Amino acid sequence: MIDFLLAILPSVAFLSLMAGVLALLLVIAEAHISNYGECKIVVNDEKEIAIAGGQSLLASLAARGIFLPSACGGRGTCAYCKAKVLEGGGPLLPTEEPYLTDDERKENVRLACQVKVRNDLKIDIPEELFNIREYRARVARIADLTYDIKELRLELTRPETIKFKAGQYVQLRAPKYPGNNQEAYRAYSVASPPSDNRAIELVIRKVPGGVCTTYVFEHLKEGDEVVFNGPYGEFTLCASDAQVVLVAGGSGFAPIRAMLLDNPEELERRNARFFFGANEKRDLFYTDLMKDITEKHPGIEFIPVLSRPSNGWDGETGLITQALERRLENADGKEFYLCGSPGMIDACVAIFTKKGASDDAIFYDKFA
Amino acid sequence: MPAPKTNRVFMDGVWHENPVFRQVLGICSTLAVTNLLRNTLVMVAGLIWTAAMANVTFSLLRNATPRRIRIMVQVLVISTYVIVLHLVLQAYLPEISRDLGPYVGLIITNCILMGRLEAFASSNPPWPSFVDGIGCGVGYGFILIGIAVVREILGFGTVLGFPVMGAWWTRWTLMVMPAGAFFMLGVFVWACRRIWMAGEGKEKPA
Amino acid sequence: MSPPYTPLVILVGAAFTENILLVNYLGMCSFLGVSREMKAAAGLGAAVTLVLSVSCTLNYLVNTYVLMRLDMLHLQFIAFMLIIAATVQLLEMIIERFSPRLYYALGIFLPLITVNCAILGVCLFMSIRNYNLAQSAAYGAGSGVGWWLAIVAMAGIRQRLQTARLPKGLDGPGITLIIAGIMALAFTGLAGMLNIR
Repeated sequence: MIDFLLAILPSVAFLSLMAGVLALLLVIAEAHISNYGECKIVVNDEKEIAIAGGQSLLASLAARGIFLPSACGGRGTCAYCKAKVLEGGGPLLPTEEPYLTDDERKENVRLACQVKVRNDLKIDIPEELFNIREYRARVARIADLTYDIKELRLELTRPETIKFKAGQYVQLRAPKYPGNNQEAYRAYSVASPPSDNRAIELVIRKVPGGVCTTYVFEHLKEGDEVVFNGPYGEFTLCASDAQVVLVAGGSGFAPIRAMLLDNPEELERRNARFFFGANEKRDLFYTDLMKDITEKHPGIEFIPVLSRPSNGWDGETGLITQALERRLENADGKEFYLCGSPGMIDACVAIFTKKGASDDAIFYDKFA
Repeated sequence: MPAPKTNRVFMDGVWHENPVFRQVLGICSTLAVTNLLRNTLVMVAGLIWTAAMANVTFSLLRNATPRRIRIMVQVLVISTYVIVLHLVLQAYLPEISRDLGPYVGLIITNCILMGRLEAFASSNPPWPSFVDGIGCGVGYGFILIGIAVVREILGFGTVLGFPVMGAWWTRWTLMVMPAGAFFMLGVFVWACRRIWMAGEGKEKPA
Repeated sequence: MSPPYTPLVILVGAAFTENILLVNYLGMCSFLGVSREMKAAAGLGAAVTLVLSVSCTLNYLVNTYVLMRLDMLHLQFIAFMLIIAATVQLLEMIIERFSPRLYYALGIFLPLITVNCAILGVCLFMSIRNYNLAQSAAYGAGSGVGWWLAIVAMAGIRQRLQTARLPKGLDGPGITLIIAGIMALAFTGLAGMLNIR
């Protein structure tokens, strides 16, 4: 046995040495070749920031306090991070093409998460984005809503108050932790009403292998400090007289809860009906809250829909699309607000369109 | 997830998820060595052994391997077993080893092995991984042997070196040339797919 | 020692009479997979040619001045794979830095190439036939050009096939292999023109 080990020792040593040398060469090469030097980014012709090149435009701006919205964390699937790159952006990439219309391309609109900062840039972003801030907060409470959904209450420390509209979202930062060696931001809708302006509540569902949800479910404790930026998004209640139909699945409840707590009278005036789709009874949450709201405001209807009901369930069953089909006569004079997975939203939008809804009466917040 | 049943794992490798005609992997060596049945048998045995051993080893290591260097570890595991196989062949079957040439070494880049390590052994316990390696090897093997028998009979008139066709047979030299290999494999893939589609077509789309 | 052919003969021979795909069956998996679409095929072919030229040369150097000197020839497989993997990563870095346009044309194929059997196969053939430095470089480049030629030709044919009605079970790898067989037949016509073994 010893003889055998001694016999293969030179080979193992040689291979390890070779692998080590190559790895070292690659590291040195990376430091020199992938070194883009310091690049200047001129924003809206007024602000100039300097940053080391090599990162995406989205990340570079975020590092200097300018936060473009992003729901997919830079993967190039949500197309929230559009910005006009007037100079220095390089050719349009195949990963950006599907998300840009011809008009946008003519105006040099790009996806900031796909544009890499290699040289000086000149960009144009919407003015409101300058108002997005980074907030620090303390975890006041982590509560279990179901077996895979938690509610987080974050009390702001710096700055102390936040101004937002019901339905908007923030980007929570997941720091490095054992098993994750890169910071990431993930978007979550705010579930608390704007009147509660010293804190925000988030509803987070565990995604297996998800960077941020693993952080929240396994590493975050009450009393910890977290960082988020925002508020973002245009998914808010339109001021009109139309009847309101709200549709959500899973953690999509969050922005709807914000809307319900913010202005229940308005929603009652508009005969709001809230369809919530889930698989089984154990996936339902905030049922007490909804009971409370519907008792105080009988004009609001809460319709949970279970696709796999157990015995003793006397509510709606089946897929949420089936329930909508059954309960919705037509789309006249109604506005539709949806929040959930892209698949659910697409299916429901198809139903509303079939019933005669026009595109500008349908509002949604898709999780990428 | 619960470990899959051994029987199912094996049959998946041999037929339902056959690496050659279903997944279209491992084609390079399939074409190269099938002009003689003798070489084919040695290659198939070598691949079954390498696949099984590499699958088991990587399955044992699966929880200890950080995600970043997974591919490198996979390549290292496969390479080690291939080197052993190559040395054994050089020592005990030198003529066949020369015939097979670089294709034994190319087992390292054989997509079947890399594919199975990634798709199966990285998330399954050692015993099913071992069976999966053998299953894929057998699935690969029976197709190769089928092709080799046809090619050798038509091309040389022999099977394993023994003449079976008699003196009247004009050899179809095309069969032992590259073109013949492509044709044979194409026809085999077509035939197997038809049979598979007929069998499974009711359950799931091709 | 090394066969008596000039590098130019080897380059042309590797592309035509000893086409690594149609004669030596190397690089079939990505060939079958990527030959559906012309743009992707051209991009992959260019990437393969680049990687082959560089890594064949580097592997010759490592083989002659490291493996042989240290009597570690039995580790050839692993050593070659390491060099190929490192070459691919280095090339990816260099191309991304100096030509983003080129990077988006063929850079996405580069990581796939590391386990492409053509690369390792060409290097092993180079070692078996004892080519010298110039011959190795020519062999690598010529093999790449030959592979590029084959995949682009196949992509052109397959794009025409899109409107054809094929028997069930034949479309995809089945018909591609048969077409490859016909292409191989065509290339057989060139056999014997140049010998590079």
